[in-house]
Amino acid sequence: MSRPDSPLQLQQLIRQTSQGDKSAFATLYARTAAKLFGVALRIVGQRAEAEEVLQESFVAVWQRAGDYDAARGSATGWLTTIVRHCAIDHVRRRAARPESRSAPEESLRGLAADPKTERGAELSALQRCLGELEEQPRRAVLLAYLYGFTREEIAAVCAVPVGTVKSWIRRSLERLKRCLDA
Amino acid sequence: MRYDDPDLRERLAAEYVLGTMPRRSRRRFERLIACDPALARTVGAWADRLAEIDAATPAEEPPARVWRAVEARIAAGAASPVPAHSWLGSLAFWRGLALAAGTAAAALIIYVVALPSRTGPPVPTVVAVLADQSGDPNWIAIAGPQRGEVSVSAVRPQAEDTRHSFELWGIAGGTPHPLGLLQPQSNSAAIIRAAQLPPAGDLLAVSVEPPEGSPTGLPTGPVVSKGKVLVTPP
Repeated sequence: MSRPDSPLQLQQLIRQTSQGDKSAFATLYARTAAKLFGVALRIVGQRAEAEEVLQESFVAVWQRAGDYDAARGSATGWLTTIVRHCAIDHVRRRAARPESRSAPEESLRGLAADPKTERGAELSALQRCLGELEEQPRRAVLLAYLYGFTREEIAAVCAVPVGTVKSWIRRSLERLKRCLDA
Repeated sequence: MRYDDPDLRERLAAEYVLGTMPRRSRRRFERLIACDPALARTVGAWADRLAEIDAATPAEEPPARVWRAVEARIAAGAASPVPAHSWLGSLAFWRGLALAAGTAAAALIIYVVALPSRTGPPVPTVVAVLADQSGDPNWIAIAGPQRGEVSVSAVRPQAEDTRHSFELWGIAGGTPHPLGLLQPQSNSAAIIRAAQLPPAGDLLAVSVEPPEGSPTGLPTGPVVSKGKVLVTPP
């Protein structure tokens, strides 16, 4: 179950799925569902709803497998994007977020490196680059990615105007790209 | 909006992946990605840049019922892969045509469909185009995928809301009879038996109902869409 997934194998499985190969699709599910379920659960916060998200996402994978093209990024990135968007749609359909979603401080802190510590080599490039952002903009980016927060929700949590959140996110993404591509 | 501005493309791709784009903008952006390979690559690069944030999220084994549900939905044919020129591919085309041309095009659609197709797969028969009060089509009924079946799908995604559903009605001789709940997403279809449809010339209508459908067997909510049965499907 925990055998590492070769990116090429996943690409191949998606390609076969696009041709209607159900056993390839079943293998794709077996290889990726646990990780993707974790991602869905993180965003929606409830198991029953995360199950729905996973189900809808894999139906979408089956339908849209023909759109995937390895030249356009990794299979994992493509699958994760489908699951995250589906989960985000679920959360936004609800009137209110569950309480647990509003205080993800600990998980946020764990993800960004403190630029002042000297663990450079051990840190992933992304952690290092996140660590170079200011605290509030970094929090905005992570709240959006990890929990599907809207700009308005981030503004409420950070007690700033929505316009400020928009420019934080915009500038943070530009800086992340420069840092990661450097 | 200028989609040829490289900075804007980069920013929209990043926000698409980050998830901060409003749903409607995201749907519009997805249509752009579908026909713009360079933009699709920019999106893929962002998905890969940010994917590492997921590394800290623990994997969690989903219960087996999730896969059973996925399998069942696929077996039901509600969602098949879309190789080029497939039935669903054609459906997308007809949907686009209905969306672009409005109900006034229904007669033209029938005319076009009636033409013998010399090459390629059989073209599906449009059974009805349902439009809202202002005449904008929002549901389309097409013969298939199997003989004796009709697929009804949203021309564009309808407002989804867990508190409501869209129910389809056949109105023969002025009396509505329920035909089933519709899927608000534009990428799936409700399959109904052609024999249940009212005869050509009579109406199909969609009403807003509680999540499980009308409890009374008659429409209880507002009728949001209607259209005539144009042909009796094969």
